[in-house]
Amino acid sequence: MDFSTAAKYASLLSKDYAEDIFKLLVNYQAISASEVATRLNLHIKTAQDYLEALNQLDIVSKDEVLEKKRPYYRYALKQTRLMIDIDLKQVKREASTNSLASHIRERANAGARFSAARSDDYITSVTIWTGNGREREERKIKLTTPQGKFLYHLPFPKAEPLTVDEIMHKAGVDEHLAPEIVDLVQLLEKYMVIESVEEE
Amino acid sequence: MSLVRKLKPDHNITGPLVPLSMVPIFGLTTFIFGIPTGMYTLAVMVSLFAIFYLYVFIRTGNITRLVIFAECVFLDYMLFMASGDFLANPFDRKEFALAYYSGMAFFGLVLVYLLLTRKFKWRGREIFELAAASIEETGNGYTSRPKPVGKMDYSLQQLHAFARFCARHLIALPYITSKNITLVPIKMGEEYGRVLGLSGDYRDASWVNFDVDGEVSIHISQKDYLDYREPLAFDQLCASFGQVYIDFFEAHKKGEGIRVVDRMDDLKLGFFS
Repeated sequence: MDFSTAAKYASLLSKDYAEDIFKLLVNYQAISASEVATRLNLHIKTAQDYLEALNQLDIVSKDEVLEKKRPYYRYALKQTRLMIDIDLKQVKREASTNSLASHIRERANAGARFSAARSDDYITSVTIWTGNGREREERKIKLTTPQGKFLYHLPFPKAEPLTVDEIMHKAGVDEHLAPEIVDLVQLLEKYMVIESVEEE
Repeated sequence: MSLVRKLKPDHNITGPLVPLSMVPIFGLTTFIFGIPTGMYTLAVMVSLFAIFYLYVFIRTGNITRLVIFAECVFLDYMLFMASGDFLANPFDRKEFALAYYSGMAFFGLVLVYLLLTRKFKWRGREIFELAAASIEETGNGYTSRPKPVGKMDYSLQQLHAFARFCARHLIALPYITSKNITLVPIKMGEEYGRVLGLSGDYRDASWVNFDVDGEVSIHISQKDYLDYREPLAFDQLCASFGQVYIDFFEAHKKGEGIRVVDRMDDLKLGFFS
């Protein structure tokens, strides 16, 4: 299950009336939106939207029926067990060979402020400015210790750029921490604190 | 040694301004309240000055600060005597006049000697001049990040001895923690704020840091970087700044600390800059 589907599940389950609707669905063979609304004292639109959303997630099926030539839908539960199952590995940033091999250094006049740790050789946070005009605001990014060590060894502006891999090696950051380093590099590239330099 | 200066000329008058400001305050209090009150006021100011220099002596071990302290104590004694409470018309008494003039002449000569031999001088400008001496490339690239400049092989005792040496010769003010010794070079005129802790956190100033594992890192503040005439290549400047201290450390380890002082004296920077 992907994150957005899980979010839809969670959103539906978090409604105050969710449990009552599921009680009806599990006990009735099929039920219409108006029957749910009158039974639970809900607005017909609320009940209809909820059942439609369940149908889109394939939790219920809907069948069109006719009453005095006026069609309406009846909903029936398709599954009695709901599982929210997210594989977090799918959102893990795998450090590709390409991202580790890119040559980077600090961008000149980046305007970022770096706070160094008092007791050791690493950066504790980076403060950058985002937005323009009245929207301009200060944003402080707290760093993990490996990220702080990495940034401590980042080449200065105008200095010879190094690959992400080389900087990690210099900083003594273990290879398995590459995803959090790559995440930081991408974030700081986005805020124009770090620049990638093409190899000559 | 090239005498081409990389730093802008020093127009900072904070150093001489602090002692010289005593004169108009003395004049004003004398004009308003009379000579005895003026002398007491001057004595209080001199006492504060003496306490500051005693503190600097304790902090650095620089003997010239003790001389200034002794001079201030002598002056204080003379001012109290001359204020009229102890002696009426003190300068009419030959003993007092002789003690006053000979004391002032002695301390004056000692002070001139200390100034001419640059023993009185904070060496911050020398450090920045030496760091920039070999840098020809310009191009800015300033960053507030510290730079690791290498790893050295030293024992904790050697590191502490070097820190004491730097403090004693006013090459830098050391800040000692359990894991690091940070040396902060101070330019003349900046000593009051830095020593009294009024100039903010020392980590925001320029420094060189030696940690217990031998890692050496440096930081140059934007204020000090802007003090150079040209926007020197910052990466090279940082490396050179660190190298100056590494060279000093190596010389000190070999027992050649005097060569470090000679190297700075050879720059022939102004006595008050």
